[in-house]
Amino acid sequence: MANDRAVAELESFLAERADQLMRTAVLLTGSREAGQDLLQTGLERLLRHWPALTGDPEAYLRRTLYNLAADGYRQRSRLRRKLLLLRAETPPPADTLASVDLRDALVRLLVQLPPRQRAVLVLRYWEQLTEAEIAAVLGWPEGTVKSAASRGLRRLRGLADSWPQTELHEAGLRGSGR
Amino acid sequence: MSTEIEELLQDGMERFTTGVHAPAGLAAVAARLRRRRRRAIQAAAVCGTAAVTAAAVLIAIAAGGTAAPAGGQTAQAHTVAYVVSRVKDALATENLVYYGKTTGTDGPSASWAYGQRWRWEEFTGAGCRNVTSTGECTHRGGSVRSLATGTARIGGKLTGAYVTYYNREYSLSPITAPLPTSACSRTARLEMGGPAPTPGDHWSDFINATLACGAASVTGHVWIDGVQTIQITGKPITVALPPGEARAVREKRTRVGWTLYVDPTTYLPVRITATNTTFGGPAATTYSSLVTNVQWLKPTAANQARALVRIPPGYHRASHPWDQ
Repeated sequence: MANDRAVAELESFLAERADQLMRTAVLLTGSREAGQDLLQTGLERLLRHWPALTGDPEAYLRRTLYNLAADGYRQRSRLRRKLLLLRAETPPPADTLASVDLRDALVRLLVQLPPRQRAVLVLRYWEQLTEAEIAAVLGWPEGTVKSAASRGLRRLRGLADSWPQTELHEAGLRGSGR
Repeated sequence: MSTEIEELLQDGMERFTTGVHAPAGLAAVAARLRRRRRRAIQAAAVCGTAAVTAAAVLIAIAAGGTAAPAGGQTAQAHTVAYVVSRVKDALATENLVYYGKTTGTDGPSASWAYGQRWRWEEFTGAGCRNVTSTGECTHRGGSVRSLATGTARIGGKLTGAYVTYYNREYSLSPITAPLPTSACSRTARLEMGGPAPTPGDHWSDFINATLACGAASVTGHVWIDGVQTIQITGKPITVALPPGEARAVREKRTRVGWTLYVDPTTYLPVRITATNTTFGGPAATTYSSLVTNVQWLKPTAANQARALVRIPPGYHRASHPWDQ
């Protein structure tokens, strides 16, 4: 096969980094299935450019994943959004603590955000990047990143408003920062 | 901004991804996707002329009825003139729809062509069956369409179209260039290795040029489905790969060869075979072959419609085939 060597090198790279990349992709898409789909697309692009790649492949792949996600990769159907919303409204049975429920719910609500806002929030709170670093990854002006982050958080808070009031109170969220 | 919501979001992200592991075989699937898309793009780029070219040459030689003498310039000129006239007549009166079913190293495909319209579809092979949105085989049974490329009618106009069924996406592009004027050109000869036909209005010119320059010669007779066809073998061509493609496949050169089989009673091709070898680089030599069995369909409205790509409702539009 023409790109056997590239595939072998990619396998070696993935042996160390695949799980972390998969987690990022899952956060960007909201489900394991869609995350795998996104990661697979990113890997195909990485493989396409592998022979000419001079920098860090992980940085390239992460940039690709975030840009794909920010561009609204694989638009979800309304039904799927609805299903995710329904899942978010169902407290997980394993842990009954309201604050834990809310953490899960917030991540599920994160999936409801527009792709750009979601990508910025994942970069900010999952990758722990600064706004300047996020701007570099996505190739956006820093002001755009700030705006997206602000809108994303505001919208997340708005989405959280629909969460049952008692649980929000127990989590100490309702009223804070508002 | 709420500190709590940020902290809860961070904790939530950790919890949400706990226990998430990447599945095995990601690199292999990426390689498979890469191969499939490269083939698709190559097909989209070249199939405009490949099979038409092949069919044109085939028809040309076949219309001569007997093997053209390899050496005699005068005999060749007479054959060319005769063939061109017969092909013109045949095509003008028959006006048929081309339908080719191709099998080969890269899996099955089908193609249709009529006038300026053409469609080429790739199917998953028996070893693959269904294909998921990531390009993986699921073995759930039943060969399915994987992708299609060709012309679509959008807003009453013909335009280039590329559809990937496995992820429900499509892209549009300017219509592919028509048949090259000369079968002797490097482009046309390379395109002989392509999998699909494209209609064109320059068949007679193409045939004329092919015969005149010796791009093909009659190499025998072969029985196919009870018909003693005339076998015509194209002169293989070897070229250096463009730099980008060479880097992508880690090879330096490609060699294309083809053979045509024509029904001497209809002056139409019944089979086209092609081989494509890529070599000269650090990667192992790759070899692929295609066999296309051709049928000529009556130009009914239904058959004409088969030569158009249809974009199913609800599919998402991508900006370029590479993005699909």
